[in-house]
Amino acid sequence: MSARRTRVVSPVGAVAGLFLLSFLAVLSASLSVLGIKLGNAPVMPWEQLIPLGIYAVGVPAVLVWMRVNGWKGDAGLAGAVFLLCGLGVTVQFRMGSFSRGLADPMALAPLPLGLLAFAAGVALTAKRRGAWLARTGWAAYLAALGVLAALLLLGRKYRGGLYLAGNINPTELVKPLLVLFLASFLSRRQKAFSETQVGIPVPSLDALLVLIFLWAGPVLLTLAVKDLGLLLLLNAILVVMLFAVARSTGYLALGLAAVTAAGYGVRFLSPHVRARFDVWLNPFEDPTGKGWQILQALAAMYSGGWWGAGLGSGVPQTVPIVTSDFVYAALAEEIGLAGCALLLAVYAVLFSRGFRCAGAARTPFERLLGVGMTGALAMQTILNVAGVTKALPMTGITLPLISHGGSSLITTLLMAGLVTGLSDRR
Amino acid sequence: MLETVMEFLNGPLGRECFRLNRVLFLVFLALATLAVWRAPAPRPGKVGFGLLRGLTTAALLAILIYQATWQISGFLKPEFVHFLRRYNKRPGAAAMQVMRGPLLDRRGHVLAAPVPGDVWGRRYPLGEAGVHPLGYYHSQFGITAVERVCDPELSGYSVERREGFPGATLFAVRAEEGRAVTLTLDARLQARAYDLLAGRKGAVIVMRPRSGDLLALVSSPGFNPGDPGPASRDEENAPVFNRATQGRYPPGSVFKILVAAAALDKGLAPVYACPAMGYIAGPNTPPIRDSEYYAYARRGAVWPGWGRLNLEKALVHSSNVYFAQLGVACGAEVFNAMMARAQINAPLVYLQAASGELRSAAGSAPTVTQPRKLAMLAIGQGDLLVTPLHVACFTAAVAADGVMPRPRLRTDEAPGRMATLCSPEAAGRLTGMLRAAVRNGTGRAAEIPGLEVCGKTGTAQAAGGDDHAWFTCFAPRRKPRLVVTVLVERGGFGARSALPAARALLEEAVRLGLARPEGEGES
Repeated sequence: MSARRTRVVSPVGAVAGLFLLSFLAVLSASLSVLGIKLGNAPVMPWEQLIPLGIYAVGVPAVLVWMRVNGWKGDAGLAGAVFLLCGLGVTVQFRMGSFSRGLADPMALAPLPLGLLAFAAGVALTAKRRGAWLARTGWAAYLAALGVLAALLLLGRKYRGGLYLAGNINPTELVKPLLVLFLASFLSRRQKAFSETQVGIPVPSLDALLVLIFLWAGPVLLTLAVKDLGLLLLLNAILVVMLFAVARSTGYLALGLAAVTAAGYGVRFLSPHVRARFDVWLNPFEDPTGKGWQILQALAAMYSGGWWGAGLGSGVPQTVPIVTSDFVYAALAEEIGLAGCALLLAVYAVLFSRGFRCAGAARTPFERLLGVGMTGALAMQTILNVAGVTKALPMTGITLPLISHGGSSLITTLLMAGLVTGLSDRR
Repeated sequence: MLETVMEFLNGPLGRECFRLNRVLFLVFLALATLAVWRAPAPRPGKVGFGLLRGLTTAALLAILIYQATWQISGFLKPEFVHFLRRYNKRPGAAAMQVMRGPLLDRRGHVLAAPVPGDVWGRRYPLGEAGVHPLGYYHSQFGITAVERVCDPELSGYSVERREGFPGATLFAVRAEEGRAVTLTLDARLQARAYDLLAGRKGAVIVMRPRSGDLLALVSSPGFNPGDPGPASRDEENAPVFNRATQGRYPPGSVFKILVAAAALDKGLAPVYACPAMGYIAGPNTPPIRDSEYYAYARRGAVWPGWGRLNLEKALVHSSNVYFAQLGVACGAEVFNAMMARAQINAPLVYLQAASGELRSAAGSAPTVTQPRKLAMLAIGQGDLLVTPLHVACFTAAVAADGVMPRPRLRTDEAPGRMATLCSPEAAGRLTGMLRAAVRNGTGRAAEIPGLEVCGKTGTAQAAGGDDHAWFTCFAPRRKPRLVVTVLVERGGFGARSALPAARALLEEAVRLGLARPEGEGES
């Protein structure tokens, strides 16, 4: 039946329908939050509503643009992106991230810029244009190195990490740049990397050495910047893309083993990582010190229960850095396990459809690009949510589309746009 | 207009709207999720990446199930229930109903007080001067130091160490009022000591020699207990680090007090020749020299050396050449035994409470056999590290007839002793020598007329920078009432940077009536 419907409804029309439903959810949630804000202070927070307005106007504008360009891709993919994006805006409105209004353009600018980045991403890869991007592989590699080097030279310390002026975290950009590079590099050496013997991948030595040599650059720079979360993420992306090029589960198994071993090894090298491991293994060892953050996050979840306190009615402020890394804990408190299940389901649909679109791409490069971008977002989501729920140690990675953070939102929307563009392959 | 809206929102109908809206949100979200899931997609290609799709979905599902073990069935985890009961300050939670008790100093002055109407509010009159011993109580950064280990009393809970009690007791236990906890600190001395360090990195300890009462326990730089955020990110100055109890430093010449105590206890007080060329402890070892040798050499002059020194003169001049020889003469056995008695390798517990204890970092004194190493350790160098609190404790032992007190931060704990370092006679002779070191030795500047200060300076070499400056002393000589230990990190000469702070503190203590010059009697 759905096959018949695809012929009737245009994909953009389907996305518009999905957006309407998403917007209803966003609207009802925002009204709750607004009511509670008015109850606390009887002043209409006009300026705080700007991002919601941008969402309400910006997404239809992007849809019109996609319609004009005749985009015919995966409606579910685009719909999931816009739904998550809307939830992100609502949650940040609720957490007071826009409370300084126009005085804080750094908080307001990311959403419109992100929607532009999304449109740009779609434009770059839609209608099989994406193959052209393969030529930018080396430039992307050098740009990634440049970003990391610039951060190392110009960055200043904040919360244990390095940031540029205005707390911009440019390392976010490193992810799509390196995915682009890997897609271009691996797609030209498909044969060299897809050799296997009894399930174990045996890439040609030449290609492997070149890859190791090139990969050492960003890895060493990331180590120097001390962004271990990014390091983990980059290597996970590499593993997923190697799997995609060879389609051998051996790479996934090897990658998992390598990540576990590396995590265990780094534990002995860096006291910082070790502390995170120890907190993960036993948060009750030092409940009021090292374990405080994760235990407060779990306490927030516990108080949320099945249905949650309702958006705006919880007390997630007791969770440290709740607007960015721990935003999932705030959501769990206010929308409950039921809401979390729906949220994770939307993520699952996004990634599932992303991988499927990538698999259907025409050229090996586009396929790798799609797998890499989707894999990066999926990995990021899994690591963040697992960290906040104590399923895995904290890695300091943000939740795509929901966490507060300008560079993160813009980059995520760009990556999602590239995949959404890829899904249009006629 | 806005008033009407608010009136409506706060009315019964408004509340119904809220409830309805909450349901509506979940319904819309569920519909949107369903629609996204079922939305039309282009025809799939020949590669589906089913494995990646399956793995991702399975991982998210697994996380959700794990999340449910906290979110839904968290009450099955006793430790988690315990945490919730004490620290979950959401409206209606048990911990919400308690007004946290204050922390008081020895005279009943407030060191930390609750803020009425704000469950996480806490007022600290001493500000950054008191943050290291007291700790902070912060909704985002947790609870530390005294606030942490005394938390059960302060928040009105009795601590049960029962394993596996059922989650139902979470609401069954009613919270009482928070109780006050009285500390041995003197708020005035604590504040003055912090001011005297004037932002330099270092530590100050003021202690009663017999009871071990800590009148001041200062680490500098401090930080605002109301906002530990910036301090916790300052890796360069590490203000969060308690230098007084956790900082491990080479003791340098203040360590000679312990070596002298060990020698005197064995009846050793030899006379040694202390030439300018120094003392060579063994083959292929550089000579151990006195600082005067280098001071003269820098001026281009030749130092004649001390000549023959006895133990008192050696302490007065802080002669490395003498103490290196004394250490070797005592022998490894006597030296190691003294390290064991002084418990240099063990942490010092300075507060015990039902829910934990506060302890200093353990120092490190290697067990030695070679004379070469013994000579280095006897002058407080080599692989030797101690905390300022430990230096205060062994200084107190000299003042208290050779008995090292257990440091104590709570008035309702019984005073205890840690060990007997030496005989009362040895302690008496050593007191006289430390008195001489202040009267006419390296500690001259600490002389306060009538108070008869006994003390020892220290200038400890440390890798990677300037020397650490030490001064440790007690007063008055005959009936010691106060021990003052000052460390200034990278402060250079002990007599120049650490000593003036100790002297000013002693003067302040006299002014406050905490110690009286001799002859005036004690109350």
